[in-house]
Amino acid sequence: MGEVIVVTSGKGGVGKTTTSANLGTGLAALGQKVVLVDTDIGLRNLDVVMGLENRIVYDLIDVTSGNCKLKQSLIKDKRFANLYLLPAAQTKDKSAIDPEQMLKLCQELKKEFDYTIIDCPAGIEQGFRNAIAGADCAIVVTTPEVSAVRDADRIIGLLEAAELYNPKLIINRIKPVMVKRGDMMDISDILDILAIDLLGVVPDDESIVISTNKGEPAVMNKASKAGEAYRRMTDRIRGEEVPLMNLDIPDSFFEKFKKLIGMR
Amino acid sequence: MQTKHVVLKGTREGLVLYLDPHLEFNILLDEIENNLTKANQFLQGAAVHCYWVEKECSEKQSESLIGILERHGLEFSGWLTAADLPVPEKKIPESTMPEAKRFWEEGIAEAKCLFVEKTLRSGKSINFNGHVLVIGDVNPGAEIIATGNIIVLGVLRGVAHAGVAGERNAVVTAYHLNPTQLRIADHVTRAPDEEVAWRGPEIARISNGKIIVESLV
Repeated sequence: MGEVIVVTSGKGGVGKTTTSANLGTGLAALGQKVVLVDTDIGLRNLDVVMGLENRIVYDLIDVTSGNCKLKQSLIKDKRFANLYLLPAAQTKDKSAIDPEQMLKLCQELKKEFDYTIIDCPAGIEQGFRNAIAGADCAIVVTTPEVSAVRDADRIIGLLEAAELYNPKLIINRIKPVMVKRGDMMDISDILDILAIDLLGVVPDDESIVISTNKGEPAVMNKASKAGEAYRRMTDRIRGEEVPLMNLDIPDSFFEKFKKLIGMR
Repeated sequence: MQTKHVVLKGTREGLVLYLDPHLEFNILLDEIENNLTKANQFLQGAAVHCYWVEKECSEKQSESLIGILERHGLEFSGWLTAADLPVPEKKIPESTMPEAKRFWEEGIAEAKCLFVEKTLRSGKSINFNGHVLVIGDVNPGAEIIATGNIIVLGVLRGVAHAGVAGERNAVVTAYHLNPTQLRIADHVTRAPDEEVAWRGPEIARISNGKIIVESLV
């Protein structure tokens, strides 16, 4: 039996879809059989980020309403034969599916795949309840902003209420330069409030924008810092102990010089 | 709560509902009903005395009033006569004001207590008639409303309202007191805008008509 992981955040725009795409691709690269499920019905994005938009024939709602078989709706990834996508419907809305159907679907996928990764929509309403219905564990994504951390806190409470205990935290888009200046919340500030296990920290990286637009997850890009962070996270999901990425920025020439002459 | 004909006031003896003596009882009932519906759950669990000047009301009228109060979670604790009414407080010059008494001397030392053995996250609300003890943190966006004291063995970052039924001797204590907003009885205060470092466990209470925060150690 595989594992169903829901990627959620509460707040929108913190990187749920990017995280889902990268973790899924990363796990597939490690030889695992993975399916990505987009539950953001009406605002589907995961297919675009994966570069599979033009291959969609059937979607999630077609499966739950019995228009097609589950197998027919799964889109095989361009890069990995062991990675599949189940896209959301774009012309329906969140009420087109209910938590019970979602649970049934997840149980079906679990038999077939090592990892089922569910991309959750923003918010705490029906879309969220659908997404978590069949999950075995949860990953909460946040950015180092007070508003995102507030929402993550609420989501963790709601996950606990739905008996999804011990969610893992991903801190996305951290800017080491700003943290060093004291202008951005650092990792320990966030962990103080949320008090859950950290799965990984992703540095802010321009290559993510490029890879998202191209439909090629950054995890495959060896030169990308964010890609490296995702690779470490997939290793952690596989049960390996991997240290956090070194996000310290080396002192600039002037800082070294100042230290040398004792100005600091 | 105050409208044309019905006034709800917090007094030293608790809440008193004053009814306009010039009006029909039924009209008054309607107004009370309306007001309580609007007042949300703020008053949940409070005990109320009622006062309708010298007028005697029939058993039936009394019953329908009690019914309305109970439907909104309030407890009817009896009719007051003019003699029972609290005399308006005399202004005492600040310098001669007695030191605020500690809460355990005031008879709320023994009351029901709710233990919460987890961190309260954003969106969680605790409403309790008695004291509340949290073993964990209270995060921003969470609130605790209690008729008694609130004690947090952790960081209090959310909203705490102690003595919600008008008990001004109620206190809020936390290992790290850093609330979004702190309320005791009818007093409200908020944290300073700048971030404050941890100063050790602290206690907040009302002294000389203001909420003050003192170190516990």
